[in-house]
Amino acid sequence: MIELRRAAAVVFLFLGVGVALHLLLEPVREAGQPAAVKAMTLGAGMALAVLGIVGGFLIARVPKERISSVTDHLEDMARRGTIGLAISETEADALGRLGHAINHYLSFVKEEVEQSHLAAKERQIQTKVLDAEKRHIEAVIRAISDGVVVTDAFGDLVLANAAAEDTFGFKFDPAVRRPIEEVITDKGFLALVDDMRETGLFTSHRAVEWIQGAGGEARIWRVILNTVVEGKRRDRISGVVAVLHDVTKEKEIARMKSDFVSNVSHELKAPLASLRAYTEMLVDGEVKSEAETREYLHVIGTETDRMSRLIDNILNLSRLESGLVPVNKADLAVTEILRDVADVMASQAVQKNIRLEADLAPVFFRVHGDRDMLYQAVLNVVSNAIKYTPEGGQVRISTYLDDSAVVVDVADTGYGIPPEDAGKVFEKFYRSRHSAKAAKGTGLGLALVKHVVEVVHGGRVTVESDVGKGSVFRLFLPAVR
Amino acid sequence: MPWKILIADDEVAIANVVARKLQNAGLEAIVTTDGQEAYERASAEPPDFIITDLQMPGMSGLELCQRLTTELDKPIPTILLTAKGFEIDGTSLAHLPILRVMAKPFSPSELLANVREALGIRTASPATRFARSGVTGS
Repeated sequence: MIELRRAAAVVFLFLGVGVALHLLLEPVREAGQPAAVKAMTLGAGMALAVLGIVGGFLIARVPKERISSVTDHLEDMARRGTIGLAISETEADALGRLGHAINHYLSFVKEEVEQSHLAAKERQIQTKVLDAEKRHIEAVIRAISDGVVVTDAFGDLVLANAAAEDTFGFKFDPAVRRPIEEVITDKGFLALVDDMRETGLFTSHRAVEWIQGAGGEARIWRVILNTVVEGKRRDRISGVVAVLHDVTKEKEIARMKSDFVSNVSHELKAPLASLRAYTEMLVDGEVKSEAETREYLHVIGTETDRMSRLIDNILNLSRLESGLVPVNKADLAVTEILRDVADVMASQAVQKNIRLEADLAPVFFRVHGDRDMLYQAVLNVVSNAIKYTPEGGQVRISTYLDDSAVVVDVADTGYGIPPEDAGKVFEKFYRSRHSAKAAKGTGLGLALVKHVVEVVHGGRVTVESDVGKGSVFRLFLPAVR
Repeated sequence: MPWKILIADDEVAIANVVARKLQNAGLEAIVTTDGQEAYERASAEPPDFIITDLQMPGMSGLELCQRLTTELDKPIPTILLTAKGFEIDGTSLAHLPILRVMAKPFSPSELLANVREALGIRTASPATRFARSGVTGS
């Protein structure tokens, strides 16, 4: 009877060890791979139970004191949550052998538990790193200036960055998955994404030009579409990534450059045509008198100068913009510059029967600036005003003080600038279709004005215009007090 | 009566040199320096031939040709001079009596040869023979 009780005690003891192990492995299980750890814990518990039952029968004949010392030791281990040698193996009896087996098993379990702890810790770190990386990548995607839109296999929107939100006018909520067509309404763009999802297995990368909107508000996008392909045979599309790059400005610059080259070549060809024609006439002996010969040679000289001037203008602006022209600033009177410009332009105005008025204040407003550059800037504005004003019109130059700026107004009764062109007239190479019809030019004059006034002198230029009535160009220059 | 040829070019130097070349060849040349002026002159008294620049302020050479073709009973054969030859597409020339587009810079002799060829294709008249003999004689 006593032996039976002892055996039962040992069985319970080992079950206790099993439970202790189970508790020890609790944090490991929480960290990950629950199935494997659970199996190991269960295995360990069962093995201990079997050992306990077998051991119980063997120990039945072992002295009570030794059993209670083993019991104390195991209870102590359970209490402290440690795994270590439990039983003295010195005795050669059944308990000694059992002790050896248990110790051997415990050292194996201890090693396994330690490794599991290490692996779990490593996984925890990896998960944290991955989380941080995911957040970092998302932040990068959110921040990039190109629009990014990502859909899943079902066409639900899974990611969109701030640029995409601006482009399509919506607010992306990562917590709510909605079909892309409920969020984005631009049919052209939706068709691109749809088409990519349907045909993406054959062409996983595609770059297309897509025009959003129409008219002056139209924006041109280069859309790069990629499919995310999954599966062992890569036969399943799990999503579409669309990146939108705004090329409106690039297209505009390309157009302006092409227009500029075309204008410059036209302007260069005009004097060149005269040179060729007059030279040929001289060579072919079409000239009947010496006076005629002199006249022809004079034309050749004038046209050569004209060509050279045009080339100088192009180079000047280019040099000015690249900062190669030295700026010589001094305190100077704007009124004097305006008077000089009015004198120089007078003959041109008379030729076109245009009344050129210089309504200059008796007060000499002073600015700190480069005289030659400011003269050129004002000259360009006045010359333009005369160029784009029909015969019999009027051009008026005036100056006044506005807060801390000396303002130069050049008002004409010319053709005017359509509102859609007004904002662009100062851009280099830009020539409105409207002005191109009225007179020739390279589209450089006002670009130079803007550069001189705004970049060199820290002022600003504006234009107000009314088609058919005229324009007012206004140059604001910081005044010297 | 010599053939009457209207010249339209806002480059006065070009208009003058073309006129001189034609006059030396015994043709009558009328010089205008913009599209509107050319249109008014041609409407009032249609010439036998037009030599016009493409890009002119106000009215382009193409518009000039279009308007005259629409408004006059008889199309006037035209040679278009241009410094932007590559920008003209065939469709804008369709249904217009533009015989040739000559790129600037051009040779006055070649221009004259083209004018003579064009006039010679038209019904022969004493004036044509006069013009031809005038040119070969010079």
